[in-house]
Amino acid sequence: MKILKFLKGNKLLSVVILIYIVLFVVMPNKGQEAVKNSMYYVIEMLEIMPVVFILTSLLEAWVPRKVIYNSFGEDSGIKGSVLSFVIGSFSAGPIYAAFPVCKMLLKKGASIYNIIIILSAWAVIKVPMLINEVKFLGGEFMGIRWILTVTSIMLMAYIVNKIVKKNNIPIEVKDKFEEGSLKVNQNYCIGCGLCSKLIPEYFAVENKKAKCIKREVTEADKEKLEQIISKCPASAIKLDN
Amino acid sequence: MDIFTVALWIITAICFVVFLKKDKLKTLNSMKMARGLMKGMIGEIFAILLLIGLILTFVPPDTIKVLLGKSNVYISTAISALIGSITLIPAFVAFPLVGSLVDAGASLVPSAAFLTTLTMVGIVTFPLEKEEFGLKFTVTRNLLSFVFAIIIALVMGVII
Repeated sequence: MKILKFLKGNKLLSVVILIYIVLFVVMPNKGQEAVKNSMYYVIEMLEIMPVVFILTSLLEAWVPRKVIYNSFGEDSGIKGSVLSFVIGSFSAGPIYAAFPVCKMLLKKGASIYNIIIILSAWAVIKVPMLINEVKFLGGEFMGIRWILTVTSIMLMAYIVNKIVKKNNIPIEVKDKFEEGSLKVNQNYCIGCGLCSKLIPEYFAVENKKAKCIKREVTEADKEKLEQIISKCPASAIKLDN
Repeated sequence: MDIFTVALWIITAICFVVFLKKDKLKTLNSMKMARGLMKGMIGEIFAILLLIGLILTFVPPDTIKVLLGKSNVYISTAISALIGSITLIPAFVAFPLVGSLVDAGASLVPSAAFLTTLTMVGIVTFPLEKEEFGLKFTVTRNLLSFVFAIIIALVMGVII
């Protein structure tokens, strides 16, 4: 049962391991060669992976998001753009984790210009990713790509701002959350497990996504839950009042 | 460990200690998040790393040079950008994968195109993005990202 669950959760890894097993049976020397070829990258990765994840999480926790979140308006100027790059660069998770965050910022009056910067920076120029890029492709490659990407993002933000108007964007998405008072939007959850570790009586991680295991929120837990909700890196948790 | 990695560990350790002094709970909680993120991704990371071994063993460097080398850079760049748009692997594991191909003789131009579209253009996440931001926003953003990814890659080919 446990093995089945592992296979289901790690499809790609299971396929690759299967290939290796077949390889070692049919052509053992090729198998050894493949393991040897991988080893260099495995070691390099093990050296850098923990530090990148630790740094990502530290930055995620310590960049004063709540303060910055109010400075993306139409007339925020250069300061708004710079802060957009900062928020995007110091975030955790893939681009789709930025969707609910950006939607929330739009509601707070952020300009489309700044939203494009946040989304794009979140996707391509996150600091931990840049570190990984230096490690495997060199500082020159990373540096030049970074400069070109930042320039492109600003041009893109300008163009999209000209083409798309605020009224092209749907205001409130129909509620895709499941029934109940406490909800996790699994589309956006990045499976970091922070909620389940902070308050395990309400959340559990299953198949790399957090899920509510208790929906009825007691008055006493409300404040604690609200704090945890604000910590979710993808803003994927919602509490109905 | 190279100097770069060592320096990174030291800087991170200093940040950790400073933040720990400022707010112990917040910092320890962020470590829980680091562990969760790593746990969620480790399977995919190892899969890609083991895949690199298979590629390097079975695809001769000459083939990589022909397919992704300097000879037909425009076609390989366009195809790499397309593959990047439809693939959904964490950028984190894309770097060793692309790095291994570059070491084996692939050109930097398609590599840069792939890395940029992989993260910025999302065909798979298109429905999600459309639902949140509308069709016009999503189409414009993804198309522009694709075009700029190719421009970035080509300019990189000229500079490096």
